[in-house]
Amino acid sequence: MTVTPRFSPESTAGMLKKFFQRLLLSEFFIFYLCIALFVALTPFIPVIASPYNLSNLLSNTWPLFAVAIGQTFVLIIAGIDLSQGAIISITSVIGASLIATKVDSAVFGQSPIWGKLLFEDGAILAHTPLGVPVALLTMILVGLLIGFINGAIIAFARIPAFMVTLVTQMFFASLAIYFVKSENIINLPKSFTSIGADSGLLSIPMVMTVILAVAAQFVLSRTVFGRWLYSIGTNLRAAVVSGVPERKVIILTYMFSGFCAAFASIIYSSRMEMGRPTLGAPFLLDIVGGAVIGGSSLAGGKGKVIWTFLGVLFLSLLGNALSLLNVPFFWIEIVKGSVILAAALIDVTRTRILQYNV
Amino acid sequence: MKSQVRIFSVLLVFAFLMAACSPAAQPAQPAQPAADSGPKQYTICFAFQDLETEFWMAGHKAITETLKARGYKVVEVNSQEDANKQLEQVKNCIAQKVDGIIVIPVDGSIALKLIAEANKANIPIGIFNRPPQSDEGNALTVVANNEKIAEATVEYMAQEAKKLGRKVKPLIMVGDLGDPNAVGRKQGFYNVINKYPDLFETPVEVATKWNADVARDGLQAAMTANPDIDFIFTSSDFLYPTIQGVLEPLGKWKKMGEEGHVIMGGLDGDKTACSLMQPGNAYVDATGVQDLYFEAQTLLDAIVKAIESGDKQPDAWLDDPGFALTQGNMAQRELDMWGCKLFHGK
Repeated sequence: MTVTPRFSPESTAGMLKKFFQRLLLSEFFIFYLCIALFVALTPFIPVIASPYNLSNLLSNTWPLFAVAIGQTFVLIIAGIDLSQGAIISITSVIGASLIATKVDSAVFGQSPIWGKLLFEDGAILAHTPLGVPVALLTMILVGLLIGFINGAIIAFARIPAFMVTLVTQMFFASLAIYFVKSENIINLPKSFTSIGADSGLLSIPMVMTVILAVAAQFVLSRTVFGRWLYSIGTNLRAAVVSGVPERKVIILTYMFSGFCAAFASIIYSSRMEMGRPTLGAPFLLDIVGGAVIGGSSLAGGKGKVIWTFLGVLFLSLLGNALSLLNVPFFWIEIVKGSVILAAALIDVTRTRILQYNV
Repeated sequence: MKSQVRIFSVLLVFAFLMAACSPAAQPAQPAQPAADSGPKQYTICFAFQDLETEFWMAGHKAITETLKARGYKVVEVNSQEDANKQLEQVKNCIAQKVDGIIVIPVDGSIALKLIAEANKANIPIGIFNRPPQSDEGNALTVVANNEKIAEATVEYMAQEAKKLGRKVKPLIMVGDLGDPNAVGRKQGFYNVINKYPDLFETPVEVATKWNADVARDGLQAAMTANPDIDFIFTSSDFLYPTIQGVLEPLGKWKKMGEEGHVIMGGLDGDKTACSLMQPGNAYVDATGVQDLYFEAQTLLDAIVKAIESGDKQPDAWLDDPGFALTQGNMAQRELDMWGCKLFHGK
């Protein structure tokens, strides 16, 4: 009688190959990576699992996730929005310049908004009951307006998104610095700074961002507009032939991206308790990186809000872990850059595997 | 299977969030040394903005080496001029339950937020060289008396200008006015300018934002518009190469004693300034000196004392009086300047 081994080498290798292929193709691949990273590091740096650190980690994640949601929409239509950092900066300055309760004339006397928005006894809306709501609304409207400018130029002038948003990034980043002559606006009212304060599970940034995320995912997965986005990103010509109003969709998408950037600016500015003209400058790599690591494709037609959340969470977790490991500071950026590159390579590999399987 | 994975995933995320946001999500207090476990090795978090100038590099070296020599463990983080990142890094340090925090803040505004976070966590915090924008919160702040040092430097330059027997056209390269150091230096400059109305014409101001590119563009424009400028005060010594780059093509980069020499001074006391003040090769008339080693030593002494005495929120302003190194006192005081010590390899 011949006994067949239950696990032949071939079948084990095949199973392993199948397992890794399934893992790689899983839409929760980054989530598994997050868990693996977290579990692997906990014995070496137990502090990573401490409630304070996790709270800290998540408070860093929410505003980045918010702005990355907008970038995800833009990536889905095969675009890119390089101006989000500038939108964060200029909306931060504009919001703060409406509500600062005290302004130093020695610092802001040379600013072009001195005497118009900023005065010795505070900003123009500083001591009015509707000051903060009006400032928040203004920030959002400015974000939408810049998004509209981006979208309109891309849709009507047919200039590549990279070029248009690069130019608007330069323009609005410089405008933010010009408005306040590089100075930061402090002394913001408590009702504003409390928005970004760390306050446990139901922190305002978390609630705001989760609502934004759920709404965004609903639009993507359950509405005609969402389907238009994917169709434009997959094949613009086919989408136009099918009757998709591509100009309207492109404009609305960039407006949403501007909205998300302004939304994140509210959280960042309130958390740092100031309006900073350079606030958004360093975020671009993390914004695009978070979306791409999550699985959104730079080629368009692919992306989900939950993927972006996982990408941003992974990036934040990685940064947090490297910092807690006391890795030399120059290595941290090298590792983060390498991970983003790896994510792009994995995306290419996944696409190839899927094409091969089809 | 797929639904099980999803349920598991949701549960894990929920657990993660609950852990993160539980009422206990407060920074743990720094551990106290156990009575019977021998001396505790203290950990100090050193959060600095960047290392782009000689001053910051020398400050970084002085602080880290002194701490390590005293047996402290040092956690170093570099925010690369990103205020949000600096806030996250300091929070990471608090999560690690460090015993003390020393910060070179990105600017005076973020310093306030960092002090608030450290105070909330009951961890002593020291601010090095760049003071907070207001006196809110409790921190040990060591800072040079920028106004006095700048004043002493420009006073010497004014005395040199008097020897020309005519009015001079001054220019000041202003730092980032969000940084109180820059405000103090500008004030010190104007104290002297206003003191001698018959000596000085209206000064030209060039904004630098502590950025060499911005400074070069501004200086080039100012020199084109005002070719008669013959008196330059830079709010930081790190801009001397920038100044040289602009003046040299204009034929205005001249040594002291040469025809067309621009009377020049700055503040910091770095190695470049020292090299430009050497006899026979002197382009710079005077430079204000922040006593870097004094500042580092004073801050470290204060924070170590606070940690060892259990003072969680020490609050003190530690003044570095500094001095002006001039061509008149070079022989006596050269080696009191940190940049000259580096220049001479001491």
